[in-house]
Amino acid sequence: MSSLMGVRGIVDPTNFSWPREVEGLNGFVTIPAKPERIITASVGHDESVLALVPAERLVAVGAFTKDETFSNIAEFVKDRPEITRDPETIIAQSPDVVVTSPFFTADGIDALTRVGIPVVQTELKHDPEARINNILFIGYILGEEERALQFAMEVRERYESLVGVTSKAAPQPRVLAVTQYSDKLWVAGSNSTEGGVIVAAGGVNAADEAGIEGNQTTSLEGVIAMAPEVIIIPQPVAFGANEFRESLLNNETLAEVPAIKSGRVFVVESKHFTTLSYWNIRGAEDLARMLWPDDFSANPSPAFSLAE
Amino acid sequence: MLRVAALSRIEVYRRAGVSVRLVLGGGVLSLLILACALVSLSLGPVGIPVSHVASVILALLGIDGGEFSRTEQLVIEQIRLPRIVVGAAVGMALGVSGATMQGLFRNPMADPGIIGVSAGGAVGAVAAIALGATGLFFLALPTFAFVGAISATFLVYGIAAVGGHFSMATLLLAGVAVNAFLGAIVSAIIILLPDNEALREILFWLAGGLDSRSWEHVRISVPLIFGGAAVITLMARDLNLLTLGDDEARSMGVRVGYMRTVLMTAAALATGAAVAVSGTIAFVGLVTPHILRLVLGPDHRVLIPMSAIGGAIFVVVADTFARTVIQPAEFRVGVLTAFVGAPFFILLLIKNKRQAYSL
Repeated sequence: MSSLMGVRGIVDPTNFSWPREVEGLNGFVTIPAKPERIITASVGHDESVLALVPAERLVAVGAFTKDETFSNIAEFVKDRPEITRDPETIIAQSPDVVVTSPFFTADGIDALTRVGIPVVQTELKHDPEARINNILFIGYILGEEERALQFAMEVRERYESLVGVTSKAAPQPRVLAVTQYSDKLWVAGSNSTEGGVIVAAGGVNAADEAGIEGNQTTSLEGVIAMAPEVIIIPQPVAFGANEFRESLLNNETLAEVPAIKSGRVFVVESKHFTTLSYWNIRGAEDLARMLWPDDFSANPSPAFSLAE
Repeated sequence: MLRVAALSRIEVYRRAGVSVRLVLGGGVLSLLILACALVSLSLGPVGIPVSHVASVILALLGIDGGEFSRTEQLVIEQIRLPRIVVGAAVGMALGVSGATMQGLFRNPMADPGIIGVSAGGAVGAVAAIALGATGLFFLALPTFAFVGAISATFLVYGIAAVGGHFSMATLLLAGVAVNAFLGAIVSAIIILLPDNEALREILFWLAGGLDSRSWEHVRISVPLIFGGAAVITLMARDLNLLTLGDDEARSMGVRVGYMRTVLMTAAALATGAAVAVSGTIAFVGLVTPHILRLVLGPDHRVLIPMSAIGGAIFVVVADTFARTVIQPAEFRVGVLTAFVGAPFFILLLIKNKRQAYSL
């Protein structure tokens, strides 16, 4: 198990017995025994847990995890009891451990901790190494180190096989991830999930290049100024992605934007681009197929393996 | 000495006749709004030389000017110009309505929101977003917001007029109660809404903004705003008399109830149209008339038209900052007006308090 050396959050990578201690963003936490009843409070964490443990151990999920618009594992958790951010709904499911994202409130963690539930708040960074670290860290918390190592290798291999091609492809096109909700245009700049996917797929994030950080609103004029060669729309079709694409292509004001001129405006599977888990690699594979059609098979990438 | 000289110049100006003040104040403010609009037209994420901006404007006026590209023309005609026109109209509505409310309530702290128009607009907009109605048709959001704004105003007015006896004090209290109730509805929708994107939309609408405004937004808002502002301007003399008190106004031949209803309806329509296309933009309706009253005096025949132009300047300048300060990303104009307006207003309050004590 030497491969767990250097995984952030594991206090003693040589200790594979119980109790074991980990260090989350909320401090040091002791996990007394192998958790059988697991709850997380984010879609991305649910996706990671389901890759590591049999589905029945994930005892309850949030509404977003059950919604196939946002979740890549919706079909596996449809019948699970639903939790909210209200700690009471989580306590009612008697979990052995709760793994949360940095967005979970300190009050919520305090409430769960006070009733004796170990809560580990893990980091959420956008780069693939951080995603792999999270897989290994969560695997250790759940007592599934071997499966975590196996799955981390699967994810790493897919990532390395992708960037092995995309990093050599040239010239790298300037890609803008843009969505429209109501009448506002949103673009994804540096430190955004979509931005990480664009870079992994061999593109240059046009919004990052323009100095935009995170997900910000812009105007049509902003889109013109960023002059992307490819526009991707990581927005659910149910939320008007196709209509938005048509409106961009038919907007005379944008006629000189390279992506509009060449018709390279794509609606992409939003849950591959916005979820905070290894599924972003699937998004990068989707995008790489669009950017480099000669280098990748037109067939969709296979699904990730699930724990048995 | 300089300050004394400046103050004395303001005093001389305030004592000048209405026509003189209208011509001088209107001239200065009109030049200022034109200059602000031109500067605003020249700024944005797409770099367009000022000479090309001028050429596009001349071409719009049918005058053959210099050269410009098709993209530059479209950016100015279809993106920047409608946004500036909507911004100016919104500022105009808020400025005029603010001056009207301050006059009607005889209270310089009053603003258009006092009659529930902003809170009503917020409920309409939030309901539209929460129900997913914004995707049904292009102008769904402003339509819902406008209906909410006007309904709330009539509710407040209806409560104040219950039993056939209208009372400004009841109107004020009804406004407070209805605002609180509508605020609770907005909070309840936000709490119960499971959709993160919709929540983000609501937050942005509540922060006020002019992004993606088009000529369609100009067409739906400007007639109501100009109509409302024109009615109020024509009734400015009566508003002057109303500020003396109901009995005094009645003794001078003013039909108090009728005038008040017409003024309030006009202000509500203008503000409702403004809120519908911009969301909640804070402090413009409060600060603009307040500042102009210090310079121009309290006569509404001067104050109303000048508040219209002053409000337009305030919003156009704030929106120019909002769309350029972190370009090509955008800031929210309602946040900027509050950032600037609130400290400025506090300074004014402190200054006025000091002057009052020094008397």
